[in-house]
Amino acid sequence: MRRGRRGAAVAAVTAALALAASGCASSGSHSGGSSGTAASSDKTTTVTIDLTPQGCTPKPATITAGAVQFNVTNKDAGSVSEAELRTGDLAKILGEQENLTPGLSGGFSLQLQPGSYTINCPGATQPHATFTVTGKATGPAWESNPQLAAAVKGYSSYVTTNTADLVRHTQAFCQAIDAGNLTQAKVLYPRARVYYERIEPVAEIWGSLDTDIDGRWENPVTVASQFIGFHRIEQLLWANNTLTGAPALCAGLVKNEQQLLTLVHSAQYNPLEMASGATDLINEAATAKISGEEERYSNTDLPVFQANVDGAMEVVSLLQPYLQGKDPSLLAQINQRHAAVARQMTQYKASPGYDETGYVEYSTVLDTQRRQLSAAVNAFAESLSKLSVQVSG
Amino acid sequence: MTSRDTEGTAVDPAGVQPGESAGRRGPSRRQLLTGAGLFGAGAVAGGLTGYLTRPDSEPPGAAATRQVSFYGTHQAGIITPAQDRLAFGTLTVTPGTARSDLRDLLREWTSAAARMTAGQLVGEDTSADAPPVDTGEAIGSPVSGLTITIGYGPALFDQRFGLAARKPAALAELPALPNEDLDPDYTGGDLCIQACSDDPLVAFHAVRNMARIGMGAVEHNWMELGFGRTSTTSTAQATPRNLLGFKDGTRNIKAEQTDLLNRHVWAGQETDQPWMRGGSYLVARKIRIFVENWDRDYLADQENVIGRGKVSGAPLSGGTEFTTPDFAANAASGLPAIPAHAHIRLASFEHNGGTRILRRGYSFTDGIDPQAGTLLGGLFFIAFMKNPSQFIQLQRSLASDALNEYIQHTGSGVFACPPGLRAGQHWGDSLFT
Repeated sequence: MRRGRRGAAVAAVTAALALAASGCASSGSHSGGSSGTAASSDKTTTVTIDLTPQGCTPKPATITAGAVQFNVTNKDAGSVSEAELRTGDLAKILGEQENLTPGLSGGFSLQLQPGSYTINCPGATQPHATFTVTGKATGPAWESNPQLAAAVKGYSSYVTTNTADLVRHTQAFCQAIDAGNLTQAKVLYPRARVYYERIEPVAEIWGSLDTDIDGRWENPVTVASQFIGFHRIEQLLWANNTLTGAPALCAGLVKNEQQLLTLVHSAQYNPLEMASGATDLINEAATAKISGEEERYSNTDLPVFQANVDGAMEVVSLLQPYLQGKDPSLLAQINQRHAAVARQMTQYKASPGYDETGYVEYSTVLDTQRRQLSAAVNAFAESLSKLSVQVSG
Repeated sequence: MTSRDTEGTAVDPAGVQPGESAGRRGPSRRQLLTGAGLFGAGAVAGGLTGYLTRPDSEPPGAAATRQVSFYGTHQAGIITPAQDRLAFGTLTVTPGTARSDLRDLLREWTSAAARMTAGQLVGEDTSADAPPVDTGEAIGSPVSGLTITIGYGPALFDQRFGLAARKPAALAELPALPNEDLDPDYTGGDLCIQACSDDPLVAFHAVRNMARIGMGAVEHNWMELGFGRTSTTSTAQATPRNLLGFKDGTRNIKAEQTDLLNRHVWAGQETDQPWMRGGSYLVARKIRIFVENWDRDYLADQENVIGRGKVSGAPLSGGTEFTTPDFAANAASGLPAIPAHAHIRLASFEHNGGTRILRRGYSFTDGIDPQAGTLLGGLFFIAFMKNPSQFIQLQRSLASDALNEYIQHTGSGVFACPPGLRAGQHWGDSLFT
């Protein structure tokens, strides 16, 4: 599992303080928000707001839905120093520029859907001005790119297929446990896990579900009642060499996986999440797998390491048509570094291998070898991390 | 060659709050060397070292000569404006050490700490035929705000030294906490020494010499060096950055906030152990940051993980660095501007029933992970509080911290730091009576 959880969505407000004539440092230019989700500049509408002692009338006062850049200037209004964009009922602040004393200018940008809004500038004679957004609700820019749209569709299908396979293979694993066949259960454990390890960043959207399925003793909590997933069963099978208690845990695991399957059917993805998910998979390989932490009882780290790599390369392969036009050299670099990882992995392949995994037991991989693998996988992750900005559209 | 006795005179009078005397001319060890001489001019009485006044040709920087009073109501090194460097050592008492040995050691440590924080050598050499009393590496280095703070671990109060009845109820080994995978080599300790200075050599020298003095009675348990403070403990300090590249400590308790210190940091009337009143509990956590993974995360996500702008330090709810985060504010998307699992949300006192601690951490590195070849480093977290339960509560809140993906707690210790001393008093006096 990933060590934490994060919201599935990225905050949409960007508050970029424009450089004022009085010479703010450029280091102040990014004051938070989501530069990665900003819409392409050619579709951005600019709205000007001059702060005056009388008020803050936006120009224009009506725009069509989409990306909007608000430029706020205070020439000489001593009583007013900020402009906020609020919902029509004033209940929520959607964007703001504060601390504009006379002579300063700034601004903020965001995506606006149709509706009625209020510009608020406390201290003015008339602190409220109406701002209207017309037109149709806009979707994210990537949706209009057929290659990115196809990639997202393909990824959605990949996640669903792998989750269904996860359930099926875990059920087989549970059957071996129920039958009291420890040897067979050990063989089937890594076979089920690979499906999870290919799509893990998606499962992680539902944080507690990821913990229930793939949580480890110390992550996120060292509480026995919450250590109930794959790794608890792994501990029983390998560390305790017993099946006692495993049937109930395995049944619970399948139940959680089935819930995951229901959720992924209705989940929506976007290219940015796909790309950062690919990086996350390889980050995971670089830390939890290289150290042997994740499969600490079974030593079956190599097949799940390969599953992380496969999950990341599926994203690359889906984005390939788009990347060929957008950044072919990055695509080439990713493929080259993936090949370097694959070359390293070749030397650990075995038939039938440890517990029939197709690989040797991870504990036999020496520290010097792990370090070589780590270097290759970190370089691979580094190039993958350059994907997000290319596909955020 | 003139010399004068300085112990206890170059600093503020006993019994007052530890404070810095910035810009005051403190002695440097170079002067000690050239003044009294390594093989001393015999001008040593009562174990006190003489030294020359600083030559005018060598004007010192105010920061380098900053000298912090060793004596005061509270130990120095807690609300003292955080120095740039840390040496933190934990020690275990050597089996066979008697109660009286431990008491003697604490007395010797007191004298040594008083001298070192005043910029003096640990002791004066009287013969070239004996090993030097002071190890010498800090000779010539200005004292640079050195503070030496000690603490007692829970294990010290077991049956070995007859201290069980003196154990504060609040002092116990920390329970298992979320997202930790503790290395026994970096866990626990009977005693701790926190030495902070703007000069790393001066800080290291302090721990090294105290451990040396204790040889036979105590032995090293684990040790960490911190470079780069990650907290501000005074409103006069600018907020530093940790290895995540984010400002750290923006909302920390500051030395000027007496009311908050009394409520959250200093042990007071509530403690069952009178010797602990005016003291504070130190929690140390060695937190590895998987920096390579973090560096690969895109900027907006890094900011969402923390809940602040990376460069500005402003909360994502708007404003500037010191604007109070608005945890109720929503972004245009309708989701919270500061995400539900953002670090600053989960760690905030607003989210924790008002619980706060005083953080005083440092960035650290142990070089390279021998297995992965990646950087082995992170945050050496130190915090002071009225009761370790405050840290336990906060760390449990952080179980769902988005930052957990990039960090892991690998070392841990909890220590009761006794109150400060007046001149003539020694560490352990009130504990052993």
